[in-house]
Amino acid sequence: MPRTFGCPAPEMEVEAAEVTLREFTEADTEAFFAWASDPRVVRFQRRDAYSHVDEARRYIVDKVLPHPWYRAICVAGADRPVGSISVKPADDLPLPEPEPGAPRCCRASVGYRVAHAYWGRGVATRAVRAAAEAVFAEWPWLARLEAIADVENRASQRVLEKAGFAREGVLRRYVVLKGTLRDMVMFSRVRDDREGKPPEAHGPSDGV
Amino acid sequence: MEVTLRRFELSDVDAMMAWASDPEVAAFCRWEPYESTEPLLAYLRDTVLPHPWFRAICLTGGEDARPVGAVSLAPTADTCRGELGYVVARAQWGKGVATAAVKGAVAAVFGGEVEGLERVEALVDVDNTASQRVVEKAGFRREGVLRRHYWHKGRVRDLVMYSFISSDHLAEQSRSSRNPATQLQHFSTICVPNRMCSFF
Repeated sequence: MPRTFGCPAPEMEVEAAEVTLREFTEADTEAFFAWASDPRVVRFQRRDAYSHVDEARRYIVDKVLPHPWYRAICVAGADRPVGSISVKPADDLPLPEPEPGAPRCCRASVGYRVAHAYWGRGVATRAVRAAAEAVFAEWPWLARLEAIADVENRASQRVLEKAGFAREGVLRRYVVLKGTLRDMVMFSRVRDDREGKPPEAHGPSDGV
Repeated sequence: MEVTLRRFELSDVDAMMAWASDPEVAAFCRWEPYESTEPLLAYLRDTVLPHPWFRAICLTGGEDARPVGAVSLAPTADTCRGELGYVVARAQWGKGVATAAVKGAVAAVFGGEVEGLERVEALVDVDNTASQRVVEKAGFRREGVLRRHYWHKGRVRDLVMYSFISSDHLAEQSRSSRNPATQLQHFSTICVPNRMCSFF
């Protein structure tokens, strides 16, 4: 069981199996449908729960496969995914061009969903950590990875805190979720943040 | 300071050059100072005139009715949320023009000009303390600092997030209707061409 830094997280002691991320294929449709049809999982998402497996197939083909960064979360070496995690570069600016001085995008946002049967085992936390490390390595232009969580979604807020994200504040009436206005908590991890140290501690004088 | 907000016209381009060419004004803006009116006219024609909400800031009660700045509300990924932007010519700094314009913009956009709007947000550079004071005086609430949020003129910047939501607007209206002494200025948003802009 790998050593964890920072605050103790008792729920991670239970079945702390390895989490791996891989690309989706259409063959994952049934597994995808399992969590995408669960009202508990989609409660804090814009989308309603799917009622037919074809909705999941269509979503994988139309949205997941062409997505800039969308991964299946697999646990303990099993190939059947138990959730998904996606990272979306900010779309208000074009992706960076190679020439210097051109407008650049420096941020992306991460979202994740895990099947209910796998809640409480640190799966999402490990997936977020792995995704963060991957995108910071793959995208040199990335300075900030952010995530928003509904003010009532305490489980997701804990995932982000344990994954080394800093809570920046509550954005009031930020989105409409299933017809209601929601306040959202903004979290971020920036390139300089390191695992296990509080994000605010870093400065030019740190010998890290 | 009394201001009015109105739609821009192409004939405003010369007045716009006063702030659009000023490096001190442009310092915290997304654009570089304009060096000639041709590209500014193109910006006015292609971005400002068709924009969902873009207004000229004009001063009332003086000799010169030309615009001294601009205020806008940009759409975001969600229709409930708009992003505020504003700019004022340096000659008018320190007189409360920006604050008055922001208050007027908020009243207008929540007063029916932007359907479905629930949240106006302003993202201000952490070093732009003058602009932070403008939105604070206009009643915005500071929500937090978004680290490395924005790539601006070669550097990644931390921005402060502020918001003014529709219930803030209702609370303010209710406060001022209970106390006539603190009535908000009536901010007129005139849509007819400004007959005084005849210097073309």
